[in-house]
Amino acid sequence: MNQTLEDTIIAISTPAGHGGIGIVRLSGPEALPIARKIFCVKEPEQNIPARTMCFGYLLDDESRETLDAGYLCYFPGPYSYTREEVVEIHLHGSPVLLNEAVRLGIRAGARPAHPGEFTLRAYLNGRIDVIQAEAINDLIRASSLDQARISFKQMEGSLSRKIASAREKIVDLLTLVETSLEFPDEDTEITPEQIRTVLLDLIGDLGRLASSYEQGRALLEGLTVAILGRTNVGKSTLFNALLEEERAIVTPYPGTTRDFIRENIQVDGVLMKLVDMAGFGQASHPVEEEGILRGQKLAEKADGLLVVLDASREESPEDFLLLNKFRNKKKLLVFNKSDLKPAINRQKVLDTCPGVSWVEVSALTGKNLGQLKKMMLETFAPQLEKQEEIILHQRQKVLVDSIKNSLENGLKLLDEGAGEELVAEAIREALPAIGQLTGEIRNQEVLDQIFNRFCIGK
Amino acid sequence: MSQEKFAEEYEVVVVGAGHAGCEAAAAAARMGASTCLITIHLETIAQMSCNPAIGGLAKGHLVREIDALGGLMGLLADETGIHFRLLNRSRGGAVQGPRAQCDKAAYRLTMKKWLEEIQNLRLLQSVVTRLIFEGDRIVGVACQDGTRIKAGAVILTPGTFLNGLIHIGLTSYPAGRANEPPAMELAQSLRECGFKILRLKTGTPMRLDRNSIDWEKFRPQPGDDQPVPFSFRTSRPLKNLIVCYVGYTNEKTHQVIRNNLDKSPLYSGKIKGIGPRYCPSIEDKVVKFPHHPRHQFFLEPEGLNTSEVYVNGLSSSLPYEVQKEILRSIPGLDQARILRPAYGIEYDAVSPAELKPTLETRKFKNLFLAGQINGTSGYEEAAAQGLVAGVNAVLKLRGQEPFILGRHEAYIGVLVDDLISFGVDEPYRLFTSRAEYRLNLRIDNADLRLLPYGFKLGLVSEQEYQRFQEKQGRIKKVIDFLSRERVKDEKGEPIPAVNYLKKPGINWDKLVEKVEIPVELSPEEVRFIESEVKYEGYLRKQEKEISRIIRLDNLLIPQDINYREIPGLTREQVEKLEKNRPENLGRAKKISGITPAAVYNIYLYLEVIRKKGLRDNVPRGTCEPDE
Repeated sequence: MNQTLEDTIIAISTPAGHGGIGIVRLSGPEALPIARKIFCVKEPEQNIPARTMCFGYLLDDESRETLDAGYLCYFPGPYSYTREEVVEIHLHGSPVLLNEAVRLGIRAGARPAHPGEFTLRAYLNGRIDVIQAEAINDLIRASSLDQARISFKQMEGSLSRKIASAREKIVDLLTLVETSLEFPDEDTEITPEQIRTVLLDLIGDLGRLASSYEQGRALLEGLTVAILGRTNVGKSTLFNALLEEERAIVTPYPGTTRDFIRENIQVDGVLMKLVDMAGFGQASHPVEEEGILRGQKLAEKADGLLVVLDASREESPEDFLLLNKFRNKKKLLVFNKSDLKPAINRQKVLDTCPGVSWVEVSALTGKNLGQLKKMMLETFAPQLEKQEEIILHQRQKVLVDSIKNSLENGLKLLDEGAGEELVAEAIREALPAIGQLTGEIRNQEVLDQIFNRFCIGK
Repeated sequence: MSQEKFAEEYEVVVVGAGHAGCEAAAAAARMGASTCLITIHLETIAQMSCNPAIGGLAKGHLVREIDALGGLMGLLADETGIHFRLLNRSRGGAVQGPRAQCDKAAYRLTMKKWLEEIQNLRLLQSVVTRLIFEGDRIVGVACQDGTRIKAGAVILTPGTFLNGLIHIGLTSYPAGRANEPPAMELAQSLRECGFKILRLKTGTPMRLDRNSIDWEKFRPQPGDDQPVPFSFRTSRPLKNLIVCYVGYTNEKTHQVIRNNLDKSPLYSGKIKGIGPRYCPSIEDKVVKFPHHPRHQFFLEPEGLNTSEVYVNGLSSSLPYEVQKEILRSIPGLDQARILRPAYGIEYDAVSPAELKPTLETRKFKNLFLAGQINGTSGYEEAAAQGLVAGVNAVLKLRGQEPFILGRHEAYIGVLVDDLISFGVDEPYRLFTSRAEYRLNLRIDNADLRLLPYGFKLGLVSEQEYQRFQEKQGRIKKVIDFLSRERVKDEKGEPIPAVNYLKKPGINWDKLVEKVEIPVELSPEEVRFIESEVKYEGYLRKQEKEISRIIRLDNLLIPQDINYREIPGLTREQVEKLEKNRPENLGRAKKISGITPAAVYNIYLYLEVIRKKGLRDNVPRGTCEPDE
């Protein structure tokens, strides 16, 4: 038990996925000092005023790189959600960015919050009662995350096995090092090279695990699928049809959608974030122009694209421009308006992007939409059976990274010719994190399952 | 109520004058308690029953700690040492451990002489057969000759004598050590007390006649050029007076052993006791590592005035004839005469889980156990426990706070904590890897860690304490100097001298080539500064962690707490907690079966009570016990 309620905890407070803004929240005695280490307030005042939005920049204090602009808001205890010192950092709603902010916070001395820990603290500090706590829990859990969790449970099992094997390797490694230290008189010559080999092997394993995080994140937080196409090909109609509700305003006039809209849909238990955006082409209005620009940026980051073409019109240079621009993205070609008389030279379009799957639909009549959804799943969702070990939570990623860091530090010490006792120290450092990762500490956590069931950061 | 008539009365009675008993008695007496040390045989006080050496990795650390607390072992090993080595000399300060071979006879005689000189300490040759209790408090001991001795506190240190049974081949006979009587009645008395008794096993190799060995066949292993003393008090230069030799068994030896396994009490199932895995007999090595073409052994002379040579590595319980055959298979030992055959010995121990951190038994007030009876092996482990028991017996009688060392401040703390927290499954030996804070538990800072305690307890003299303070002053001066002074690194850049010393591959000798140190330092002081500088970052980090752990450990648990209310505890855990009623979180952590998660649940529950007074309103949806 090396974590207490006196630690300062950090987590993303806004829902998973892309959003206009995203909030990273800290709670605990060091909340403000840590926040100020990672967030540089523009007006460098001596004291941050309470409950006031202060403009500034998210800053990597090591590389001195500015990552985003946003606001810091300080809630001194006890006038805060947890009744502790609380700081919220409001940033743009990119999961990558928010994760980075959390990582920086951890580096500056915070620790990742346990599921439900903010609420646990609020409860312990008398801020809310149990009924409220449960209500908040229910609220949070009423999302697709639950389903996602269940469907990925099996993968977590394979993750644990992978971690357990890493632990075994670490124990083996320690055995080697300790034996060489404890029995200098025995015939057990263990060379630094032997230690080095095992270290490298382990670091490789953990690196692969850590990199699978991106995939895991996509599964848990949902896949972003952007709907692209030149104006008036029926993107918004398709968007509404996939959504099964009238969300986007649809008119016969080109350029109706000026900004982008996003909604979540579930395809076979996988969360997809559908983004409808302004059509590419001649913007008729500065607002539309801005919308197009943002849309492009978003499309570049999306997990998959639906490139919509109007099958009832001839292909246009803009279509080809678009296909060329997103040459390297995962995409599907959607020939819309199949209820009308076809005019497009489909083969010509397909020839420009070999290997890309296509489907003929009618967003208006709903023709082939089921087929489209199936293809979206096949094309955009990561191949589960190939990538067995998937890290689903940032908490796990942080732990894997920290274990990896400890071991890399050990390797560095070894290569520098520092004593084996220091190499051993570096390896030993990884053991508590391993314990938390395999769930030995985490699983038999805390007071009460009520709080355990909480999603992080709420 | 006992109606015993007592012949004599002491504050502290120590039963057994081995390495634990001697330290226990010396500490108690030097703290001012009237003390009686009872031994079966006055000639074998502080006898080194097995190898003629003190120290090694972790064990050498223990000796330094015993010394810093005013104990005798370090000083005595220096005084009677004839071969000194610092193990891991080329490695970092934290894993360097001094080891010395001593003249066995001199060691024993000098200890006896020193004990005789201690005020308040009386030696008595007798055999204790029974413990005398009044209710749950020990009040004295009864001896074989009928004498009864009254005692405020009793410390038992019987070593392998407790129900000892020697095995040579398939022959066995009761004994405490070869040809010395065992303590049978005392063992019976302990069983009747209801203690959980363990049966352990250890062994010792044969002693050979120096004159029958062909020394040319072996590789010499001389002592260090600059012997490092154990004791901070040793000022005279130490000298190596003997040379040890290294040899190897061979395939022929192994064949002999394999052919005779049916005569091994270990492999025939005759020995039931559990032996130490880290100190296997030669038959064990051959059976468990069949592919090793050879096993190493050391020839260690047992003293200056004896021709006995200890064969370190050939411990065995095979019959005498087989032992001879083994020797015949090894060139150089083929003509060797056995002076004392190797043997195995089984003995009783009390599960140390029965003990408090003061080494007092939980069951009986003022009864302390130390040494092999607690399931340990090794002279140093025994001595350390003796010291802890001796000191705490006196503190208890005086109604003072007990003396308990933490895992972070001494190997002694690690040793005692391991014993009482986890019990033992095999004879327990200390290793440096058992310590979480190894980088801080060094031979070079044992005085800094412990000498102030020794002084406070009255075991370290005013004069020694003053010398210690002067040493710290000199060290501080030099460290300050090194932080100010700049030297050029490999690239010619001027950097603080401490940073230069911190670099891997740079040691003190390289530093003094670049900068003149204004203060004259002893090798020990240099060792200390080197370690502190090299480990600085790690040490600061560990300090922080330690203070956090201490804070958590000291969190009080109300004695009327209702464990059944705490969510997430299993029924078994609740029962254990109700039985033990730990006073704080640190103690709860030590109860077997109380997992870190359970401790965390208790912690959270305490927070609920502390912060909200919510005793009757524990959150719903908790997990049921046993689920």
